[in-house]
Amino acid sequence: MLLSVLLQEGPAQTTNYMLLGYAVIFGVMLLYVLSLYLRQRNLERDLELMQDLQERQ
Amino acid sequence: MEAKPRMLAVLDSVTLALLLIASYMVFFYAPMEAVMGNVQRVFYFHVAAGWVGMLGFLVAAVAGGIYLRSGNRRWDLMSLASVEIGMVFAFINVVTGSIWARPIWNTWWTWDPRLTTATIMLLIYAAYLLLRQGIEDPDRRARFGAVYAIVGFLSVPLTFFSARLFRTIHPVVIGTNPPGASGAFDMTPLMLQTFLFSLLTFTFIFIDLLWHRIRVGRLADKVEQMKLKLMS
Repeated sequence: MLLSVLLQEGPAQTTNYMLLGYAVIFGVMLLYVLSLYLRQRNLERDLELMQDLQERQ
Repeated sequence: MEAKPRMLAVLDSVTLALLLIASYMVFFYAPMEAVMGNVQRVFYFHVAAGWVGMLGFLVAAVAGGIYLRSGNRRWDLMSLASVEIGMVFAFINVVTGSIWARPIWNTWWTWDPRLTTATIMLLIYAAYLLLRQGIEDPDRRARFGAVYAIVGFLSVPLTFFSARLFRTIHPVVIGTNPPGASGAFDMTPLMLQTFLFSLLTFTFIFIDLLWHRIRVGRLADKVEQMKLKLMS
């Protein structure tokens, strides 16, 4: 490990891993926000439908 | 349709602004680490995600305890919401850790104590979400959820301290690195500022998402009650 560090000329070329990491971070967060939005929208639709049914009864 | 509270709209905007600033700091403000290169930048959001995961599980245990004392359904909703958000961020933490490990440890995965305890913690809370779905009675479900959230929380300090208690290659941020730690680095002042700002940003993200998730939970409760009313 120490030898490889001493022989290394510059930082390791790891940009692709960084990009992959941030793609996962932003991707998962975006998916979760989307799931919250969709659940909220579907529940609001269900609620409206049930209020309609209740009024008809 | 229930209108979004003004405070929540403000919180959304502040959180988004913080996330943009934190992202700028991660990519352009913090210097590149001399040995690991750009992959070290994953560290800022990796640790922040781990922090939100553990914070979520802590809030879930506290809310569960309050529910058991008060019986108020609001606390069960908060407990469930916290576990769900905690799961999302604990998952991000584990996956980004694996991505960082590939060039640094030369492997995607190793059964190191920290990685193992983090995975067990994730599975414990995944089981919480699955088991809750199997209980029909809302009161029983809430009681079960509260007890599980409290007992399940034992896995959180175990995960946090695993890198200090056991022989591990996982580096630590707070305290002295274990002798076998691989991938440790000294934080420069700019790195430390970016790290602390990322922690603050993710705490805001947690509060913002928690509020949204509780609103969804309240709406789901309302729909469930109306369904029961219509069926009776």
